[in-house]
Amino acid sequence: MIQTNKLTKIFRTEDVETYALNEVSMEVKRGEFVAIMGPSGCGKSTLLNIIGLLDNPSGGEYYFDGTEVGSYKERQRTMMRKGNIGFVFQSFNLIDELTVYENVELPLIYLKKKASERKEMVTAVLERMKIGHRAKHFPQQLSGGQQQRVAIGRAVVANPKLILADEPTGNLDSKNGLEVMNLLTELNREGTTIIMVTHSMHDAGFAHRVINLFDGEILTENVNEKMADIL
Amino acid sequence: MLFQYIFRNIKKRPFLNFIKVLGLALGLSGVLFISLFLKNELTYDSFHNKADRIYRLTYTNPGIFGNNHFARIYNSEQVPDLAAHFPEIENYARLAPLRGGVMMHNERYYSINEAFVCDSSFFRVFDTELLVGNKHTVLEAPGSMVVSEAFAQKVFGDESAVGKIISLPAGQFYARQTDFTVKGVMENFPQNSHFHPDLIATPAQDEISWWAYTYLLLKEHANPENITAGYSQFTALKAEEFGGESETKAYLQPITDIHLHSDKLREIEANSNMTNIYVLSVAAFILLLISMSNYASLNLGMAGFNNKFVTINRILGSTRNMNLKYFFAESLFIVLVSTLVALAIGVLVNSLIAHHFGIHLFRGNSSFIALVVSFFGLLGILSGLQPVLKQRVGQIQQGKQSLIKSNKIKVSQGIIISQYIFAIGLIVAVIIISRQNRFVLENSLGAGHKNIICFESVHANVQQKFEIFKSELLKHSSIESVSAMLEPPGGEANDMFPFEMEGYSKAEKERPNMIGVFPCDYSFAELFNLDFLSGNNFSQNNSDTEGSGEFLINETAMQFLNYNNPQEIIGKEFRLISPNPEVTVPQGKIVGVVKDFHLSSLKKRVEPLVLFKRDKLWLLNFVVSFKPGMRQTALSDISSLWQELFPAYPFIYEDVDVLYKKVYKTELLQARLLSIFTFISIFISSMGLLGISLLVSQQQTKEIGIRKVNGAKVSEILAMLNKDFIKWVVIAFVIATPIAYYAMNKWLENFAYKTTLSWWVFALSGMLALGIALLTVSWQSWRAATRNPVEALRYE
Repeated sequence: MIQTNKLTKIFRTEDVETYALNEVSMEVKRGEFVAIMGPSGCGKSTLLNIIGLLDNPSGGEYYFDGTEVGSYKERQRTMMRKGNIGFVFQSFNLIDELTVYENVELPLIYLKKKASERKEMVTAVLERMKIGHRAKHFPQQLSGGQQQRVAIGRAVVANPKLILADEPTGNLDSKNGLEVMNLLTELNREGTTIIMVTHSMHDAGFAHRVINLFDGEILTENVNEKMADIL
Repeated sequence: MLFQYIFRNIKKRPFLNFIKVLGLALGLSGVLFISLFLKNELTYDSFHNKADRIYRLTYTNPGIFGNNHFARIYNSEQVPDLAAHFPEIENYARLAPLRGGVMMHNERYYSINEAFVCDSSFFRVFDTELLVGNKHTVLEAPGSMVVSEAFAQKVFGDESAVGKIISLPAGQFYARQTDFTVKGVMENFPQNSHFHPDLIATPAQDEISWWAYTYLLLKEHANPENITAGYSQFTALKAEEFGGESETKAYLQPITDIHLHSDKLREIEANSNMTNIYVLSVAAFILLLISMSNYASLNLGMAGFNNKFVTINRILGSTRNMNLKYFFAESLFIVLVSTLVALAIGVLVNSLIAHHFGIHLFRGNSSFIALVVSFFGLLGILSGLQPVLKQRVGQIQQGKQSLIKSNKIKVSQGIIISQYIFAIGLIVAVIIISRQNRFVLENSLGAGHKNIICFESVHANVQQKFEIFKSELLKHSSIESVSAMLEPPGGEANDMFPFEMEGYSKAEKERPNMIGVFPCDYSFAELFNLDFLSGNNFSQNNSDTEGSGEFLINETAMQFLNYNNPQEIIGKEFRLISPNPEVTVPQGKIVGVVKDFHLSSLKKRVEPLVLFKRDKLWLLNFVVSFKPGMRQTALSDISSLWQELFPAYPFIYEDVDVLYKKVYKTELLQARLLSIFTFISIFISSMGLLGISLLVSQQQTKEIGIRKVNGAKVSEILAMLNKDFIKWVVIAFVIATPIAYYAMNKWLENFAYKTTLSWWVFALSGMLALGIALLTVSWQSWRAATRNPVEALRYE
């Protein structure tokens, strides 16, 4: 589903060129759950942003579902992203001024779904995330775990093929963290491809495969034996 | 230490701070100039030492001149008796205008704008410095003259004026030449005086009589009402001498009220009025509000930037006082810089105004300027303290940053809406005032015809040769038409004669039997393109013998004469009864009815007017129209003919549209000033809006990022960001429209003839305001919307 070929990203400041990614080639199959690990500043988030079509690579190729999208313009990337990719962030990134319901509804609005259809889909997702009773609350009235469940709900509401999670448990205690990981695993079992950036060995343990990045390059790739079995 | 922080913080955000300074500086210079201008307007004629005791005497009488209120009185000869009768009167000065427009020295003619024969007491009532001569004695002898500095310069150059003879030439108004001896030179009357004589002179032989502007100097604490109330008693006493005028009412107006509160007939100069004062005060107030609110809202918006600085300071043990000190110092600094910028702008504008209008607004006003500047500065510092006063910063927040954020935008909302209420109101006012100005200029006599010039009040000797002047001029191919008339375009046709008409009886309806008269030349109707409702122009070679007189009347006169059908009044016998035995108008018939034309200001209703042609009678003003595109040729043709026919008389003419612009000088000035202030207001508001949009989009960076991640297109983000601004302008529009409608309706009430308050003016103003607002915020919105969402979310 995802294939990169010598993907490179360079950040330029006035006199320094930093290689955030250096010729990264990788592949993620449909239905896989892949964790990307590595120390701070190794390029994990940059890779995730490029995979998520939020950012353009400086070089190399990126095939999404067989289409080269690395050279896409912003408008094309937005079109491709819509409905296909869901995002989950460490800091939840909910809009404070919108209610739980409205936050989850957001992607559907940009997909131009009808109001009745939206209502059905949002209600279903909120039930599934077990926060239906909180629909009319604002993010700040919720606990961290609840907020992240809303964020996941928003990521999956449009039934995307791919979910990208950037340290989804980073701001949560272990109990809430576990709950989030269980949710992601469940989604993966239902067929959603998941790529997750994490610092936590524990969380990486939920993935089928772990890619270790260091200074913008893939250091190792190991298949998680236990999870591979399940696969 | 403190200033170091302030400097650093200001340097960190140069653009926003630049906006603050510019907004305040423009606001201050605007407010300063309006206040100076208003002060100038409100202190007219107060430079006379006894200004509080000088009153101008005027009369109305229903039996004389149709009860019209003139600025001068027609029986000035009775003033000495009046002064003797009322113990309240300490002194008086009568100013009888010298007519004819020229004075003579050494066989050369010099044009004069304003000149008066006056009482020898002139300098005991009025004050102006004498450069040469002694105030107490200079006007003592009959035939003494005091000339203004400017006039002395014009006539004598650097030579001494004293002892020279200046003559009033014989002519239409004077049977024989009168010589005056220059005894002194006075400073030019200050700009804020309601009259500016080129010269004043005591009568050489006769006493002052007939028309004169009359000023009474009352004794200290004297009550002017004693005189106005006791006037009828005085006339009763004098009844035999002056022929009973029990109906005359007397009025005394303080000299300081003349400029703004007097709109009588035949004022010495066109006055201003209170509407002007109100319009400008409102403009100043709006400007003050806008620049203050702008500064306050930017400061409130930017307070968030200092939050961390302030919070950390608080954690480290500073007090709220410290924050107050910081914001006070920052505000002081910004206000000081703004004041300097404003003064720089001020000096520049002041010299421009002095150069173009001869008004020295700064002169002698340093303490007033200091007062305005300190008042503005104080308000500015107070506005700058808004963030602390509102406790917006300095409280240790516990992770609830976003609460303050959403709050902040709400504060700005009210300010932006009110700024746009003003902006829309001002745009409406500018459009309507400009439209009305265009309307009055386009509807004035001869308007729209750019090619008419007028020789105003030419000398009697010149008038005598009008027929030659006309026939010679018409030989030139550049000339279209030549005519002459009693009053110049923009003048007032106030002369009235009793009349008789076939089938018209006065007793029928108790109607007055006086009607306005307007002698003019044959070509008048043709030159000014008058519309004939019925009948024809005068016949060209009418012999003007008794019984064959011809009269044109205007539509209002037709209605006044009780006719509705212009055809029916044609051919009716008509007779004007001249009150002056030297002037006779032959009896004759009404030959034509013309549509009303606006010789005078459109502020006044058109009065019934009878036009008649009479050789060499009162053809005071020559008008010449030339063919389009031939202005230069025509002017040189006219000039050479003038030199040939009237070599001794100054060749001075004016374009007709310039004459009308003089009539509407106040309104045109209003329109110009108001557009300048509208521009400044909108500019300041836009700057503020730009700052606010910058702040709003900064606050919404995260939200924009999230929305983009969730599939929002740039256009959708743009719509989201601009939606609020549009909403605010729409709210402002809804509030501004009825207010502006009401205010402009009031303003238009000054005019008897006016444009309509069309809906599109309001729509256009709203669209303009919206367009400006969108243009202002879109640049910032576009930047925010196209930013890579990754940047927005990275540091969260």
